[in-house]
Amino acid sequence: MSKGWLLIPLLLLALSAHGEDWPGEQWPTAPRPTGPAIETLEHYAFPARDDATRQGIRTDALLVIQDGRLVYERYAGSTGADTPHLTWSISKSLLATLYGVAYGEQRFGLQDPVARYYPALSQHPDMTLADLFHWASGLDWQEDYEYAPLNSSVVAMLYTRGRRDMAAFTAQHPSFSPPGQVFRYSSGDSNLLAAALKNIVGPARYPDYPWTALFEPLGIRRATWETDANGTFVGSSYAYLTARDLARVGLLMQRDGRWGERQLIPKEWVAFNREPFARFQAGQDEAMPGGHWWLNRAANPTQRPWPDAPADTFAALGHWGQALYVIPSARLVIVRYGDDRDGSYRHNELLKRAMAAFAAAVQP
Amino acid sequence: MKRKVFFTLVLALFVALLAWVWRERVALRAFPDIISAYTAKEYCSCRYVMQQPAEYCRGYVKQSVPISDFFESAEAKRITVSGLGRSNSARWVGERLGCRLEP
Repeated sequence: MSKGWLLIPLLLLALSAHGEDWPGEQWPTAPRPTGPAIETLEHYAFPARDDATRQGIRTDALLVIQDGRLVYERYAGSTGADTPHLTWSISKSLLATLYGVAYGEQRFGLQDPVARYYPALSQHPDMTLADLFHWASGLDWQEDYEYAPLNSSVVAMLYTRGRRDMAAFTAQHPSFSPPGQVFRYSSGDSNLLAAALKNIVGPARYPDYPWTALFEPLGIRRATWETDANGTFVGSSYAYLTARDLARVGLLMQRDGRWGERQLIPKEWVAFNREPFARFQAGQDEAMPGGHWWLNRAANPTQRPWPDAPADTFAALGHWGQALYVIPSARLVIVRYGDDRDGSYRHNELLKRAMAAFAAAVQP
Repeated sequence: MKRKVFFTLVLALFVALLAWVWRERVALRAFPDIISAYTAKEYCSCRYVMQQPAEYCRGYVKQSVPISDFFESAEAKRITVSGLGRSNSARWVGERLGCRLEP
């Protein structure tokens, strides 16, 4: 009798372990839903692809993880399940998640001055790491890709004047505001973080750190992260992962930094990523910035950026339609890679259709 | 009189243009490098990191500004592109670190 009572907690433990799916070498799968909601989603994400004019929505990959299981996956163009796709600015959020591991090692504090780790910023002693995570360095940066190439700081950083040392190029920009006061989206801010990480984790560990600290623990076998000529990771732009592997980062975030039994990233770090930047003002960008992740939160009095998605949705977003959406309340992770050149793709449209196709099945 | 006003206006515009060129001299000097550097770098990554077919990658990096020369060495995994009178090269350096523009 008493032995039987002892077994009950063990049984419950076993049940809860069985109740939670995690990817091993491969993702566990679940039956793919069928019906009109899936068709509506595919109709939006995969219209006839126009490679001549490159107009319209051009999805390369769409992958949905529900409750830790792969429930939907489709590729187009020449992208496949094994393609490490360019993530562009999703890299910024990956960098923030990589920082989370260093935060768990207690190697820095958010209010530390950046200059402590990156001396080229000694003229900006008040600039903190938190300011950079909020894209609020106060540096006079021009983030514009194709439309104003002459004065685009990001084009000069990636391809011409900044390419040898992107952080040093950023640090040379004058200030337009004291740090921490004003949101201004800046790839330069992200690369200052990438440079500061070198001294935070130490120059010996830095070249392998993205792999040893983040990718390998998540079972990501093939990731590329390009550097500038100075050996600093291009934290703003140049990480490449397969859609299946990027979804692993999404699941880590959905489950508050826990990977199986291991708390890889402190919960409070994920909370920082998901905390709106208080100084953000409505209209400054298409979504609310958190700590280097994007949030579906309203800057009063306007609407949420993606009104048809749950309020707890957060995302990593990149140029030409790259997106990693995490919706903890619906236990969904969605990876969408694309090659959209005309900006017609809408996050809200995809999220609305994905919620209709997948979230209904989650309801208890 | 009319001619004098016209001449003064043209002179003023010319001085303004010179002032603008002086103010933007650093950006203007770097500007012609953009198209060849962009094409070399993004083609290299398309081809050797994302492992896409050559033909796809040529389309992928195409911009409205034309390039005048394109040379790919598949053995060295190195791409040299010319355009607007400038030339830039990118090279694949390894599986983890992908491609990089040569200094």
